[in-house]
Amino acid sequence: MLSKIPKWNMALLIILLSEILIFGLINPRFWNISILLNSFNDFIGIAIIGFFVTLVMITGGIDISGGSIIGLTSVVVGILSQVVGLNIWVALVLAILAGGLCGLLNGVLIAYGRVQAMVITLGGMLLYSGIAIVLVGLSGVSAYEGISGFSQGFSNIAYGTVFGIPNSVVLFVVMFVIAYILLHRTKYGRYIFLTGINQNAAEYSGINTKKVIASTYVLSGISAGVAGVMLTSYLGSARADFGGEYLMPILTVVVLGGTLITGGKGGVVGTALASIIVGFMQIGLQMGGVSTQYIGLATGSLLIISVAILGISPEFKNNVRKLVSPKKISGGKV
Amino acid sequence: MKSGEKLVELENIHKSFDQNKVLKGVSLDLNEYEVISIIGGNGAGKSTLMKILTGVHKVDDGTIKINGEKIRSFNPSQAHEKGIYLVPQEPLLFPNMTVEQNISIGFDSGKLNIKEETEKIVEDLGWQLDLKRLAASLTIAEQQQLEIIKGLLRKAKILILDEPTSALTFSETKSLFKVIHKLKADGVGIFYITHRLDEVFEISTHAVILRDGKVTLKGDIKDFTKDILIQGLLPEDSDSNYEDKFEKENIDRSKDTPILKVDNISGDGFRNINFNVYKGEVVGLAGLVGAGRTEIAEAIYGITEVHSGEVYLNGKNITKLGINETVRSGLAYIPEDRFLHGIFPITSVRNNITAQVIKREGAFLNSKFEKEVTSKYVERLSIKISDQNQEIKSLSGGNQQKAVIARILSTNPQLIIMDEPTRGIDATARNDIYSIITELKEQGFSILLISSDLEELERISDRIYAIYRGNCNAYLGFNEINAANLMKAAFGTYEGSEAYAKV
Amino acid sequence: MQKFKNITEKREFRTFVFLVAIFVVVGLVNSEFLSLGNIHDSLKSSLLYIVLAVGLTFVLLTGNIDISVGGILGLSAAVSGMILRDGGSILLAIVVAIGIGGLVGLINGLGVTKLKISSFIMTLGMLEITRVVQVIYTDGQWVENLPVAFKQLAQINVLGINLLSILVVTGLILVHLYLIKNKKGRYFSAIGDNQEGAILLGIPVQRYVTYSFVISGVCSALAGLIFASQIGFISTTAGLGIEMTVIAAAVLGGVSLSGGVGSVIGAGIGAIIMISINSALVYMKVPAFWNDAISGTLLIVIVVTDALLARKANKQAKKERLRARVLHEEEVSVDYAK
Repeated sequence: MLSKIPKWNMALLIILLSEILIFGLINPRFWNISILLNSFNDFIGIAIIGFFVTLVMITGGIDISGGSIIGLTSVVVGILSQVVGLNIWVALVLAILAGGLCGLLNGVLIAYGRVQAMVITLGGMLLYSGIAIVLVGLSGVSAYEGISGFSQGFSNIAYGTVFGIPNSVVLFVVMFVIAYILLHRTKYGRYIFLTGINQNAAEYSGINTKKVIASTYVLSGISAGVAGVMLTSYLGSARADFGGEYLMPILTVVVLGGTLITGGKGGVVGTALASIIVGFMQIGLQMGGVSTQYIGLATGSLLIISVAILGISPEFKNNVRKLVSPKKISGGKV
Repeated sequence: MKSGEKLVELENIHKSFDQNKVLKGVSLDLNEYEVISIIGGNGAGKSTLMKILTGVHKVDDGTIKINGEKIRSFNPSQAHEKGIYLVPQEPLLFPNMTVEQNISIGFDSGKLNIKEETEKIVEDLGWQLDLKRLAASLTIAEQQQLEIIKGLLRKAKILILDEPTSALTFSETKSLFKVIHKLKADGVGIFYITHRLDEVFEISTHAVILRDGKVTLKGDIKDFTKDILIQGLLPEDSDSNYEDKFEKENIDRSKDTPILKVDNISGDGFRNINFNVYKGEVVGLAGLVGAGRTEIAEAIYGITEVHSGEVYLNGKNITKLGINETVRSGLAYIPEDRFLHGIFPITSVRNNITAQVIKREGAFLNSKFEKEVTSKYVERLSIKISDQNQEIKSLSGGNQQKAVIARILSTNPQLIIMDEPTRGIDATARNDIYSIITELKEQGFSILLISSDLEELERISDRIYAIYRGNCNAYLGFNEINAANLMKAAFGTYEGSEAYAKV
Repeated sequence: MQKFKNITEKREFRTFVFLVAIFVVVGLVNSEFLSLGNIHDSLKSSLLYIVLAVGLTFVLLTGNIDISVGGILGLSAAVSGMILRDGGSILLAIVVAIGIGGLVGLINGLGVTKLKISSFIMTLGMLEITRVVQVIYTDGQWVENLPVAFKQLAQINVLGINLLSILVVTGLILVHLYLIKNKKGRYFSAIGDNQEGAILLGIPVQRYVTYSFVISGVCSALAGLIFASQIGFISTTAGLGIEMTVIAAAVLGGVSLSGGVGSVIGAGIGAIIMISINSALVYMKVPAFWNDAISGTLLIVIVVTDALLARKANKQAKKERLRARVLHEEEVSVDYAK
């Protein structure tokens, strides 16, 4: 559909395969399929928020509040089920709705108030994690230990399997399919692209662009809510600071996945591949005995290089040629 | 009248852009104490001439003398040094800086000095311009004042005012004219570009008419009347002698129910507008750029508000409807600025063409349907593409415009408003678009054609309404459509205007 | 009087009034909050953020963003901390830190101006890279046991006032004057205000955008030194997440993320507000956990109000322009009377 994107997805796929190959050669245990599948638990949050932040970014916006919404929904699940004593599944649904509500606030202020998305979601980031901390504080739970004592049924969300496949992988696939169909197979998805490419022209074509924009933030908030529930189940406790370190990885996988930060182009396939690349890199490095903190070097460089290659016009290529040629350095190809 | 030193002598100036000859040998002098009005339609070459004078464009041929000295190479900063200063129509300011900062940022000399001089100039001119205000809070008139101050600070001897009154209120205009008179008395030479013939007689010492890259008339203002000026604006052979003729038929439709009935609407930029469009006709909306035509179209389409009056589409009141509902009711709009409002540049031709029609389909996209719609219109409008997936921004302007037309046709509208549909499009594609419009008319579509190209209006409209400064001041029936009448109507001097305005 | 009115109309002034209001309201509840000691402490704990906000403001003024400040802070603090720990001189440590900050800033600047990478992504990538380089350089260890002489730098008092605070506030005022009064200093906001206009005036836009990133990098490095001196050790996560606090501080202080608007004084006051809310809550005996919720709400309310006010003014101006074009009867009659 968009000529450049499949090429980029192909590049991502090659990176992923060579990653699996290289890590496997270093440590054959990496080729153990169940280890790989189970590792999805470690990056599922980043991936599913990434899918819907992709939608946000295609409209030309940005959402940096996802990590905070994780913490908030985690706390909401914990308090509603353990402190208030609601049925865990009711608590779960309410928590995800709370995530959607946060997204709605972002979306309304951005689309209808026409304030920069960066600023609103930055405020939202502080506000939602702030509310989570307040809830924990008011409920008298220890902020450090968090709320624990969840039922076996709840921890099965993260640890259960379907036909032998870990639930996290199932959830990854389900959320991916939802995002994919919404973005690439429905009218709504087309409107997201058109709005991101030229909001004026979309408005003149009778598309309600404000509604389209606001709705992407709601979806992003809901996905963060789902991630929060998942993470709470995985870690067995509810804490306000969950997801705090997710901010940069989420943006990294979306941009690395080939979505233009200026909007109008991109897709969830790229985001999915990029999140797996980043996720596998983490366990690969762990197995290779390297500190996981090194992962940033790889993602950071990948990010800059990929954007440099993707976004870019003949003007850029000229600039590179100018930078490279006088020094007679060959390379720079990826 | 004092006659002073020669400030500017332009001789036989030629200038082309690509194949397009914009200036074909213009000669023009400006002396001290003179205000020369330069009049001409859109695209006559006025702004190109002024850009040559300010060093923005280089001449292809011809000589420029400033203060008697022949100029060879010329650039904007040299022009400034020679005392030439242009006050643009929409001044380029730093909106978040104060007036004083806006003035001083372009200067190299000490700041204190500039502040004092500025205050002196402001006082001399009798303006009340607070130097501490933010530029964003200035009205257009004040922004122009700021630009004039900048020019005077540079000791400009030659001032160019580009349609300075186009956004000024009546009293602001009056005070600007006072300044012009004062500057003139001080020996400054002024080029005054305008569309408003009344102003020409009010402030200028001389008038020059530029048409099609040539000076067709120049002389002392006392020798002219409005009619003479209009005559000078007209093409020499005013009988239509074009290669392609487009079917037109004089049919009296006034007994039918109009498809579009605009009943005395007023809004920002226009007032008391009345007209009807019937089934199967092309109605032209003539006027100069900035006359208020686009504002009328946008209000009908639902982008902006109609303050009073009513709009009916097929008998249905659509006055208060938003774009969503007007589109659903059968209205379509091809915007003036194709790049800003028309196309979705970084996506495929197919996605552009189907952007509106998919609204009627189900929630899921049907790529087979989209392909069919696209190929149908690509064929019907003969849009030249290599592939439906081609990015639309890689097409020529004409093909982009055809894709936009395809997009709105796919919704099967009852009335199509086309705002400058052939702007920036080459001659062949232009004829294609005229044929498309004529064909659409024959198929029973109604078209409201907004255009500054008087020839275009003359060739394809059945009836024409003219807008002059926000008022609908003239109506040309089928038999009254000719170049002379159109020119008069656009410049607000068509005899019928008084009678019509009172209807 | 006129001058006074001009000052009160400034966005920075409103931020300042807001800061004073916080102190007065909290002071009413607990007068100890207004004690010189507390004000002194609030300022001291904001220093780091003020310095970061000053650097960031340069970048924001040009219409770009720098989110690598936390990474630069951590890296330069760690590297110079190791020099100090291993017996290097304080001067060397400072020079090295500034060098690192300047270099990373230069890379950011060139990436944005020459490679045309969006500043958000460029600095996001650099954030990750600098963090890893820090981990590699320190071998994932905390840098501890900094010499006492260095740690005391942050505690020196002159006439009872913290020397570092005096330096930072003086620096802040000087930078403010440079940006407001100096011709070249005004280039930064001119670029963000109207880039095309800036190019037409002959301002070397690319060069000044690059400078802004270098300045931001150097400020982050200085903040890293303040961090090292005040805290006394550098963890591998030093400065983690600080970029968002600093951006929030700048926005709170009236700096626009779309460029062209704002001042370093405003950003500095914004930083003090962000930090003071924390201690204010303590003095009001409100649990400290309200901190983030309050800052977040504040930020959203202030930004949305600003945006709505600006839009209203814009709309009005556009309307007036369109109306001015319309010919009205009184004009006609005047014309014909002639």
